[in-house]
Amino acid sequence: MNELMTLTPGLYHWLLLTLLLFSVGLYGLLTRRNAVGVLLSTELMLNSAALNFVIFNRYMAPGFVDGSIMAIFIIAVAAAEVVVAMAIFVALLKLKKTADVTLMNELRG
Amino acid sequence: MTETITTALFYIFAASAVLLAFALVLTRRILRAAVWLMGVLFCSAAFYVLLGAEFLAGIQVLVYIGGIVVLLVFAIMLTSSFELLDDHPSALRRILGILTAGGFFAVTALALLSTKFPVKAYHGEAISDVEKIGKSLLNYGPGGYVLPFEVISVLLLAALIGGIVVARKVLVKDPEAKS
Amino acid sequence: MRNAWLVPGIPFFSFLIVGLFIRPLSEKAAGWVATAALFVSAFFAYSIAWDYFSHFGIGHEGPALVPWAFEWLRYQDHLTATIGTLIDPISILLMVVVTTVSALVHLYSIGYMAGDDGYGRYFTFLNLFSFSMLGLVVAPNIVQMFVCWELVGVSSFLLIGYYYRKPSAVAAGKKAFIVTRFADLGFLIGILILGYFGIEAFPHIGAKIQQEMAGLSSIPIQAIDFAFINHPATAHYILTTAGTVLGLSTLAVACILIFMGCAGKSAMFPLHIWLPDAMEGPTPVSALIHAATMVVAGVYLVARLFPSFAAAGTPLDVVAFIGTFTCAFAAIIACTQDDIKRVLAFSTLSQLGYMMLALGVATAVSPLGHTASMFHLFTHAFFKALLFLAAGALIHGVHSNEIWDMGGLRKKLPVTHLTFLAATLAIAGVPPLSGFFSKDEILRAAVENHHPIVFGVALFVAGLTAFYMFRIYFISFWGDARSEKAEHAHEAPAVMLIPLIALALLAIFAGFVPMGEYLGTSHGGHHGIHWNIAIPATLAGLIGIALSAFMYTGTRERYVAVARALGGMYTVVKNKFYVDEVYLFVTKNIIFHYIARPIAWFDRHIVDGAINLYAWLTGALGRGLKPLQTGQVQTYSAWWISGAVFFIILLWMKLS
Repeated sequence: MNELMTLTPGLYHWLLLTLLLFSVGLYGLLTRRNAVGVLLSTELMLNSAALNFVIFNRYMAPGFVDGSIMAIFIIAVAAAEVVVAMAIFVALLKLKKTADVTLMNELRG
Repeated sequence: MTETITTALFYIFAASAVLLAFALVLTRRILRAAVWLMGVLFCSAAFYVLLGAEFLAGIQVLVYIGGIVVLLVFAIMLTSSFELLDDHPSALRRILGILTAGGFFAVTALALLSTKFPVKAYHGEAISDVEKIGKSLLNYGPGGYVLPFEVISVLLLAALIGGIVVARKVLVKDPEAKS
Repeated sequence: MRNAWLVPGIPFFSFLIVGLFIRPLSEKAAGWVATAALFVSAFFAYSIAWDYFSHFGIGHEGPALVPWAFEWLRYQDHLTATIGTLIDPISILLMVVVTTVSALVHLYSIGYMAGDDGYGRYFTFLNLFSFSMLGLVVAPNIVQMFVCWELVGVSSFLLIGYYYRKPSAVAAGKKAFIVTRFADLGFLIGILILGYFGIEAFPHIGAKIQQEMAGLSSIPIQAIDFAFINHPATAHYILTTAGTVLGLSTLAVACILIFMGCAGKSAMFPLHIWLPDAMEGPTPVSALIHAATMVVAGVYLVARLFPSFAAAGTPLDVVAFIGTFTCAFAAIIACTQDDIKRVLAFSTLSQLGYMMLALGVATAVSPLGHTASMFHLFTHAFFKALLFLAAGALIHGVHSNEIWDMGGLRKKLPVTHLTFLAATLAIAGVPPLSGFFSKDEILRAAVENHHPIVFGVALFVAGLTAFYMFRIYFISFWGDARSEKAEHAHEAPAVMLIPLIALALLAIFAGFVPMGEYLGTSHGGHHGIHWNIAIPATLAGLIGIALSAFMYTGTRERYVAVARALGGMYTVVKNKFYVDEVYLFVTKNIIFHYIARPIAWFDRHIVDGAINLYAWLTGALGRGLKPLQTGQVQTYSAWWISGAVFFIILLWMKLS
């Protein structure tokens, strides 16, 4: 707890910041009715995860670049994900005339 | 003096990132949400700079904001319908979301704060040295990333093709028409 | 002798091959392959007998060898069920008898079953039976004995119910199976008692017995091996340490329980009711299973455990009593039956009673009865199988089981007539046919061990046997044809006559085998003819024959008058003393009504009710939780994350 007492941003400040961003993204993921909204929330979460890698790189392994590489990978995966997700949305919109995920309940069987 | 400025910048960007994130998940208009996401990503780019990863900040702005989010905005506008413009979750959903996300935040924060990380002293080393990153990505020895790098390449290609195939017109048949 | 396993092994492999591969291809080939297998098996049995007796000589008790065995089920040290072959004089005797009769019956069946539906199935089952019976005979331990015991039971069940479209055959199969299973419950408990005390005794005496057995067995001795159970030291240990139950020693209780199984298998009173009904099966099956081999398994088991029975004492008295009673009881019923196979069935019961009473009168110091019993088993197998096969030839010719449908067949079926006559004379104890010698031994055993009542009953039954056997002989072969069918009766084909002739020769000459020399348990007694016993026995037989000839060769009035004179007694005997009816009354009116029905009620309402309650509770829970199943991924992930958070908190509280 002592680390949080200082004003200067340290590891814990950063981690709490990304955790907060992630949780807000999670909230969006769970509540958004719009499929694109869900995707946007996911991007938020991915971004905070990438940030975490860089933070740990900076504070626990300075002089290495592995965290940065991971962040680059995450950005690449996010790009791929957005492409596929948007394609699926376009297809779904044509098929079901809606992008409301609350109406997509085929899993109920 | 520099430290004071960095600290101030951290708090300014942190505050705006959190505010933008909340706006992102709470707004009813999906296009606005996309714009708020852009803002959050821009703040993140600033964080990268503050953390000493300038190269990543560049990538963030170029690829994420310039590529991905713009693609999203395009997609939203291309498929625009009235439905897409309004998003109003039910109260039950909100409560469930708040409880879950809040619980997750609380538990993870507790876990974080009760963990002692072995922090190392920082002497201004560049953590996103482009030369190092480049060599690591193409290094196939121990600690090298050439295999994930190639896999990511294949993944991007597959996503490209997959996106085209899924969004093609032929595939989309009205199931009602058949029956 | 190492290839002794081939004797049961060949029928086993033949059973598999015939049942799985040959039968679907060619029914005819199935019959011939199955028969050939049994002849090969018989050849090996003879070669083992030759090896054994030429190696160890005769005139003294031969050793019990286990030349081949493997570990099958290992429960704990010294308690391992092995599968192996036990070679000693009585197992050789049984091997020879079983393979010979089985091979001849197989051959006979080729003719008898020709053109029948399920011809291949029949031979498959017959091979299964032969394998099981031989496995039983060579069992070196009581577990293998029990397993094969049940296997012969099930093959008997399958063969009795062979004509499964006939309700009476199905019912008879079920009856045989249930009655013998019920008896086997006693056998199983007996095994458990012997096994329990055996393993308890093993640390004290095991090493000693192992030493004595050195070189005889190819694997270490186990607490359930016959060699261990029968050892005097084991009996002594159980008698001195195990205490008593209801005034009987534990060993005696175990032996009596095992005898219960024997009584079921050998159809001793009161468990005899299944055997007459078992005649619903094909006649060769009756000859093989229900006359010559399977039903003597009970006698064989008592003989196998004879040292234990003798050590316990009381069980032998039980054996003698039940044997004597069944002997007379069945013979009396046999005098009144009209179905030729049923008469033979009751005659089998009576002869099995003979074997049992012979075992019962034997003692450890004077085991003449043991030899006599085995001797009678040996001769009986041949003449009874012959009687059944000849009866089968009659039925084949006349297409009826009723003796009153026959008559005058002497001319039309000459070979059948002569062989039947030989077997009838043998069973009636007319010298010098085989039955005379073995019956003589049994009577002598009864006299020498001072059982005058047993001797008296046995002598009376000897006369009675002659009477009822000649009754069916005269009715079916003499006089005039009594039915249309008998007019047109024809002789059986050669494939059926060859086994008849072979068995007739055996039935005539088997008595000259010096059985005492081979079994070596008679302790130097004289094995010739004892005139003081032979003359009354022969006379009893001749009186029976004469009476029968007087009653059944003349006019119809004679036996009708006799039946009328006996009145109610005749009716009672004709209805087999109403034993079946008593069973039916006890099971239907008492057990079903007062025990089974409350249990059924309990099952239906309490047990099923509890199960239904659980089912309803589960259903209600499911209905309650159904709204949670929204089908939306978002809700699921919300629950999933909340669950994970919840369990992390729980874990945290537990750890801190």
